[in-house]
Amino acid sequence: MILRYTLQRLMMLIPVSFAISVVIFMIVYLLPGDPIDNLLRVGSSAEDRAALIARYGLDRPLLVQYFVWVGNMFQGEFGEAIVLRRPVADLVVQNLPYSLTLGGLAFLFSSIVGMALGAISAVVRNPVLDRFVRGFILLGSTVPGFWLALLLILFFSVNLGWFPVSGAGGWKALVLPVLTIGFGGVALVARVTRVALLDAGREDFVTLLHAKGLSSGTILFRHLMPHALLPVVTILALRIGWILGGAVTVEFVFGRPGLGSLLIRSLGQRDYPVVQACLLMLALAVMLGTLIGDVAQASMDPRIREKKS
Amino acid sequence: MRYSTKTRLLTGSAIVSVAVLLSTPLMAQDVTVAFSANELGATAYNPVASSRLNTATSLIFDRLVEQDADQSYHPHLASSWEETPDGMAWTFFLRDGVTFHDDTPFNAAAVQTWIASYAGTENEYLVEAIASVDVIDDLTVRFNMERPEPNLLYNLASAFMGVPSPTAYAALGDDFGVTSAVGTGPYELQSFEIGLETVLVRNEDYTWGSDLSANTGAGHIETFTFREIPDQSTAFLELRTGGIDLLLGVPTDFLQILEAEANIDIIQMPGVGIIYMPINVTSAPFDDILVRQATTMAIDQDSIVAAIYNGVGAPARNFLISSLPEANVDPALNVMYDPTRAGEILDGAGWTMGDDGVRVKDGERLSVDLFTNNTTELTRLTQVVQAQLGDIGMEATITVFDASTIRDEYRENRHQLAVRSYDWNNSDILDWFFSGNRLGYPNVSMWTDVEGQRLNDVAMTESTTSAERIANFTAYHEYVLSQHLFVPIYQPTQNIAFNSTAITVPDPVRGSRFRGQTFVDIQVVE
Repeated sequence: MILRYTLQRLMMLIPVSFAISVVIFMIVYLLPGDPIDNLLRVGSSAEDRAALIARYGLDRPLLVQYFVWVGNMFQGEFGEAIVLRRPVADLVVQNLPYSLTLGGLAFLFSSIVGMALGAISAVVRNPVLDRFVRGFILLGSTVPGFWLALLLILFFSVNLGWFPVSGAGGWKALVLPVLTIGFGGVALVARVTRVALLDAGREDFVTLLHAKGLSSGTILFRHLMPHALLPVVTILALRIGWILGGAVTVEFVFGRPGLGSLLIRSLGQRDYPVVQACLLMLALAVMLGTLIGDVAQASMDPRIREKKS
Repeated sequence: MRYSTKTRLLTGSAIVSVAVLLSTPLMAQDVTVAFSANELGATAYNPVASSRLNTATSLIFDRLVEQDADQSYHPHLASSWEETPDGMAWTFFLRDGVTFHDDTPFNAAAVQTWIASYAGTENEYLVEAIASVDVIDDLTVRFNMERPEPNLLYNLASAFMGVPSPTAYAALGDDFGVTSAVGTGPYELQSFEIGLETVLVRNEDYTWGSDLSANTGAGHIETFTFREIPDQSTAFLELRTGGIDLLLGVPTDFLQILEAEANIDIIQMPGVGIIYMPINVTSAPFDDILVRQATTMAIDQDSIVAAIYNGVGAPARNFLISSLPEANVDPALNVMYDPTRAGEILDGAGWTMGDDGVRVKDGERLSVDLFTNNTTELTRLTQVVQAQLGDIGMEATITVFDASTIRDEYRENRHQLAVRSYDWNNSDILDWFFSGNRLGYPNVSMWTDVEGQRLNDVAMTESTTSAERIANFTAYHEYVLSQHLFVPIYQPTQNIAFNSTAITVPDPVRGSRFRGQTFVDIQVVE
C-alpha cells in the first residue's frame, strides 16, 4: 500500500519537474543583463562580444537553447559555466558537500532542539519557563540571520576566541554557522511541536489514558508524540529543500562556500548554466523533501494514504 | 622480549624529548592573506585563458617585464630588450638559468609557444599586434609586429601575461590552473579550492626576482594561504583576531578603525582607478553641451574626499589617474568645482531657477535620472552627488542597480547620469569608454564624434613610439575633456592592512599593485 502510494507520488513529480525546468530556464533569461560583459576586457571589440555570444550559443532561439539544455541534462551534462569557465557539474560537486554539511547539521539541530523545547513548553506547567520558551520562539522567528551571525562572531570569536571568525576548516568553523541557521529553525519547530502537543493533549483519549493509570511520560512519548509528529514532519520535510539554499547570507558572512553563495555569485554575473543548475538542485531538494514528507505522513497515518489512493 | 632498564630509560627519554620538541611551537613560516573583494571568484590560475585572476597569480607566474608605480618598466624574465626605430620588431634577451616549477627550462622556444597559445582566447587582444615570434637563439626571441605597438611593455607586465610552462600547459589542457599551475614564480601552487582558499609553497630554486624586490631569491615565507572572504566586515574581524595576517583591499571606511589597533599597520599605495559620473550626451537636457559643462562644475570633489573618504585618496580632475603622463592635460581643461559659474552657464542656456530650487526651461523642470551600482560606497557617494546637483538647481532621482542590470540599462540607453568606477592604469581606457564603436556599454556617455574617433584611432593604432603615444593620447584626452562627457570625482588609494606583530611588509611598496614582487620581501616577525 505504502509502496503504491510512493510510486504514485513519484509519477506526479514528472510533470512537475518538467514545468519547473521550463520556469527555471526562462526566468534566468528574463533578467536584464547577460554574462558576456563579465568576459570582455579593456580592448575588446563589438566583434569580440558577438563572437562570445555565438560561442556560448546565446544567439540561438530560446526554445532551441532549452531543448539543448534538457537534452544535455539527461546525459548528465550541465554544460560549462560561461563566466566561471568550469564545468558546472564540477562547481556543483565542489560546493554541494559544504551546503549539505552545514544544512544537514542545522536541520538536525533545529529538529532535535526544537522538538524538545516544544515538548517542554507544552508539558511543563511552569509559567516562567513557558514565557521563556515562547519568548525564545518569538526571537528566533524574527531576528535576521545576518545580524545574528555578526553578533555570534563578535561574542564567541572576537571576544572569547572560542571559534574562528570565518572559513570552512574543521568542526569549530561549523559551530557558529549551525547555530545561526538552526536558531530560526528551532523556533519554528518548537512552535509547531508545542501547538500540536497541546492540541493532542486535549483529546478525549488522553483522559482515558490518565484514568487507566499511565504515567505522564508514557502518555507523552508513546501516545501524544506520534500524533504531534504529523505536523512536525510536514514542517521538517519542507525544510529539507531549505538545507541546500537557505544558508546564503550565513555562507557570505562566515566566508563559507556552498550552493547558496555559488547561486548568488552566478546570478550577479548572469552565468546562466550555473544559475540553472543551482536552481534545479534546489527545486529537486524541495520536491524530494515534499515527497519524503508525504510518504512519512502516509506511513504514520493510514487515513492519508487511503484517502489519497 | 624484555628490555633492560637502561634501554627503557633511553627510549623513554627519547619519546619525551620528541614530545617536548613537537609541543614547542616552531617558528611560524606560514602567512594567511585575504583577497580584496574585487578579486574573489577566480576559477583558474591560467593567465592565458582566464577572464579573472587574483594576486596569487603573480606569485606563481613571472612576466617578461614588471611595471613600477611611476610607469617605468623593469627587467624580469627578460633581462633587456630592444625596439627597432620603426616599432616593427622587438627583441627580448631572456634571463639565463630560469626554470619552470616542473624543472623544464624557460627559454625562447617557451616564449614562442606561450605567445601562440593566446590565439582564440579572450585575452588574444594582448598579443594581436604581434605577427610572429622568432627564436633567435636559446635566450633571444624576436617579436615581429603587425604594426607598431608602444603599449607592448604594458601588456607584457600584465597579470594576464604570466608565462606558463608549455609542457604543463599542453599536458593539462582545461585543467591547467585548476588541478595544477606551473610557472617560474617564487611560489608554487600546492592546492586550490575555488571560492575558498589557495595555498602556495615556496619555490626553493628561485633566484631570478626582479629589481622591484629587495630579495631576488626564494621568498622568506614558506607558505602563503590566500583566503576568499566575501564579507568585508568578516575579513576585518579576521585581521583583528589574528585569523589572517594580511588583508588586501581595505575599504576606506575601516581605515580609521584599523589605525586605532595597536597591532595593525596600514600601507597606502597610489590608486589605479577613478570614480566618475558619465553624462549621456544623447539624452536631453545633456544633449546641450552647456548643460553638460555646468554639470561638471557642480561636483565638489575636495569636500567628497574629506567627508566621505576621511581625506584618504585624492580628488579626480580628469579621466586618468594622476601617475599617467597623459593625465597632464592643459590645466584649463581639468574639471574644477565652481557652482557659481555653473549657475551662470545654466542661466545663459535658458534654465532659470524656480521657487522650489529646481531650474525650469520652457515649462520643463531640470529633473534627471541618476543611476549607480548597489555597493555601499557608490550608493553613499551618489547621495552626495545628488545633493550637490540640487545645489545648482538640478533635481536628480537615484536608482540603484546590480552590475549586470545597470549595463543593460546603459545598452538600452535608459540612463542620463551614473556614478561608477573603473580600475585601469593605462591611457587606452579612453578608447574603452569613449570610442564610438562601443556605444551603450562601455561607452556610457553614448558619445560618437568624427574628430574624437579620429584622435582615438591615431592614439590607439598610429603611435610608433612611447613618446608619440603619450602625445596622441594627451591630445585625445583633452578633446574628450572639452566635450564635457563626464565628471571626475575621486581617485582612491589601494589600502593594505597587516598584523605588524606577525609579519613585516616593505614600505614603500614597489610596483603599481601589491603583488608578487612584494610578497617575496614579507617576513615573519621573530
